[in-house]
Amino acid sequence: MKRILLAALLASASTPALAVTDAEVVKTYADIAEAGYSDSLATAKSLQAAVDALIAAPSVDSLEAAKAAWLAARVPYQQTEVFRFGNPIVDDWEGRVNAWPLDEGLIDYVDPSYGQSEENPLSTLNVIATPKLSIGGKEIDATTITPALIKDSLQEAEGIEANVASGYHAIEFLLWGQDLNGTGPGAGARPFTDYAAGADCTGGNCDRRAQYLKAATDLLVADLEEMAGNWAEGGAARQAVSEDPAKGVQAMLTGMGSLSYGEQAGERMKLGLMLNDPEEEHDCFSDNTHNSHYYDGLGVRNVYLGSYTRPDGSTVSGPSLSELVAAKDGALDTQLKAELDNSVAALEAIRTAVNGGMAYDQMLEAGNKQGEDLIMGAVNALVTQTASIERAVTTLGLSAIEFEGSDSLDNPDAVFQ
Amino acid sequence: MKPLLVSLCLAATFALPARADVAEAVQDHILPGYARFTEATRALADIDSCAGDTLRDGWNAAYDAWIGVAHLRLGPVEDDGRVLAIAFWPDPKGIGAKQTAAAFRKADPALLTPEQIAEQSVAFRGLTGMERLIYADTPPEGYACDLALALADDLARMAAEVEAGWRSGFAQALTHPGKDGRYHSEAEARQAMLTALVTGVEFNADTRIGRPLATFDIPRPERVESRLSGRTMRNIALSLAATRDLAQTLYAKDSLTDAAFAKAEAMVPRVDLAQVADPQQWLKAEILAQSIHAIRDAAMAEIAPALGTGIGFNAADGD
Repeated sequence: MKRILLAALLASASTPALAVTDAEVVKTYADIAEAGYSDSLATAKSLQAAVDALIAAPSVDSLEAAKAAWLAARVPYQQTEVFRFGNPIVDDWEGRVNAWPLDEGLIDYVDPSYGQSEENPLSTLNVIATPKLSIGGKEIDATTITPALIKDSLQEAEGIEANVASGYHAIEFLLWGQDLNGTGPGAGARPFTDYAAGADCTGGNCDRRAQYLKAATDLLVADLEEMAGNWAEGGAARQAVSEDPAKGVQAMLTGMGSLSYGEQAGERMKLGLMLNDPEEEHDCFSDNTHNSHYYDGLGVRNVYLGSYTRPDGSTVSGPSLSELVAAKDGALDTQLKAELDNSVAALEAIRTAVNGGMAYDQMLEAGNKQGEDLIMGAVNALVTQTASIERAVTTLGLSAIEFEGSDSLDNPDAVFQ
Repeated sequence: MKPLLVSLCLAATFALPARADVAEAVQDHILPGYARFTEATRALADIDSCAGDTLRDGWNAAYDAWIGVAHLRLGPVEDDGRVLAIAFWPDPKGIGAKQTAAAFRKADPALLTPEQIAEQSVAFRGLTGMERLIYADTPPEGYACDLALALADDLARMAAEVEAGWRSGFAQALTHPGKDGRYHSEAEARQAMLTALVTGVEFNADTRIGRPLATFDIPRPERVESRLSGRTMRNIALSLAATRDLAQTLYAKDSLTDAAFAKAEAMVPRVDLAQVADPQQWLKAEILAQSIHAIRDAAMAEIAPALGTGIGFNAADGD
């Protein structure tokens, strides 16, 4: 009897020793973030080299090579989007690299059908054609287009979010041009001669277009360098989640849930479908939206499983959130893993359909039942997994029920007197 | 044996109904709210002429009823894009106006059938789609009138579907949570209610006020909600009244929260967001936004602990 009791005691004592800790799980999370932003940086540097080559010798091939480099750069970056929500350091920075949607007429020439936005007086500014700018009543010298001009004067000019001057989507527009095919097949079709010298130049101001492309790409590299550093050993973002590992775990789940539900299922997928608007797709110039959505979804699963596969095929992995949840509620862990697999599979089904010839913007067309089913399949899978993510928050005892201090309780009424 | 059985029965009797908070919110706030919305949209759909003020009056009554439930971003309203279609706003890219203009160019009568209209973009339909037609410079005639009447029918259909969805299952899922339902526990149902309350309150500050407020240097009065009909401030007043009612049903002793509501509501009549370009008005609007944030803070300090729950993921999590 005594022996059995001892064995039982040992067995129960061994459980905590085997279980993963918050700190270990958060370390895996930060390691994946560091790897993801480092890979984003490396692929952005390849894009930078391809852009330099395009500008030095514009041709069909050098333009296609730059586009291929852009598409490759999106693969690791989209998998980092899950770090955005829950990490203020990332969220405050994210708009510089991945803001969307944009009024692209701010940057370059656009088709007459584009019109003038009622909400954005700068929506047809065309910086590339305009060396002297007037923004919000201020004269701005844009004789040379520099990273500083883009960052300090153009990005979110006049406080309007649609004035996206920097980041992946500005570069995407400069490589592909507008997609004028509506919900019909085909992506943007910018000719390489938009970067040609002298009389071969199409679209006007080819030298300034090249300047803009170069400046925006250099800026992207600099911005990614900053974020990779934030997640490196001693970096501010890594420190923020490691200081209090329980808060770090909360940030992980917040990122997973917010990206799954409000952002991806809602804002990006369902809304676009319900508007039947072909421009309501994330990578609208390149028709790469299916991949963006897929890698977003994969990133959510990466965080839960504590494993990320890098572009070179190697993996970064460690103690996982999945193990942490499983220790408290095995059934919930099993269910959430299955639901994450389902959403990745549903997003993969969209990619398969695109590779089979139906572009994402075509799926948005009113009356395209098959497209609607594909998109809603992914939306529903993302919504479903959100409920389990919410349950994981509760299971781990992380519900934020404490009062969050706010200065808004001190409320100056003087103006009303 | 007998006494034991009696006490078991008693326990069962007390355990069966869900906690009063969620049940009261459903019975006294949600279902009556949707009933009013169904009623008002049915009355709107019954109007068959664009002459005079009848259509505008019916539309305003329907809009009033909608604000009474617009904060409830859960359940049947989330299916088939209904919540987006009923009142699509904000529309920063002006998609609705473009799609309305495109419909006028085609003037396709086939579009006006109930089946076709239900398939159209959410920005084109609903209360905001109708507003563009009935508050245009000239009263709607011909195709514009036919379209307005068709949109009214479409609204009534959606309202009826939402109410039916609540009555035929979703109310039960909230008040009797269980492993097979949408909500597994009373705590989850309470979290859903608190999330609706807090995000509903915040929408007033962050979006209804926040969009026109923009920055002090460049305010954006043209971005107000219901600009053409001039319902802007009425929407905020009604939304605060509706969320105040929800807060009361969730937790009757919400004196801190209720006081915060009273304070904000008293400011509303003295703010005009259409005048936000005037620095004095801008400041007043900002203070109103702050006082609305104070409602959220009070609810989190008072109602959240009373319900023993926090805020869940919600549609406003995106950017």
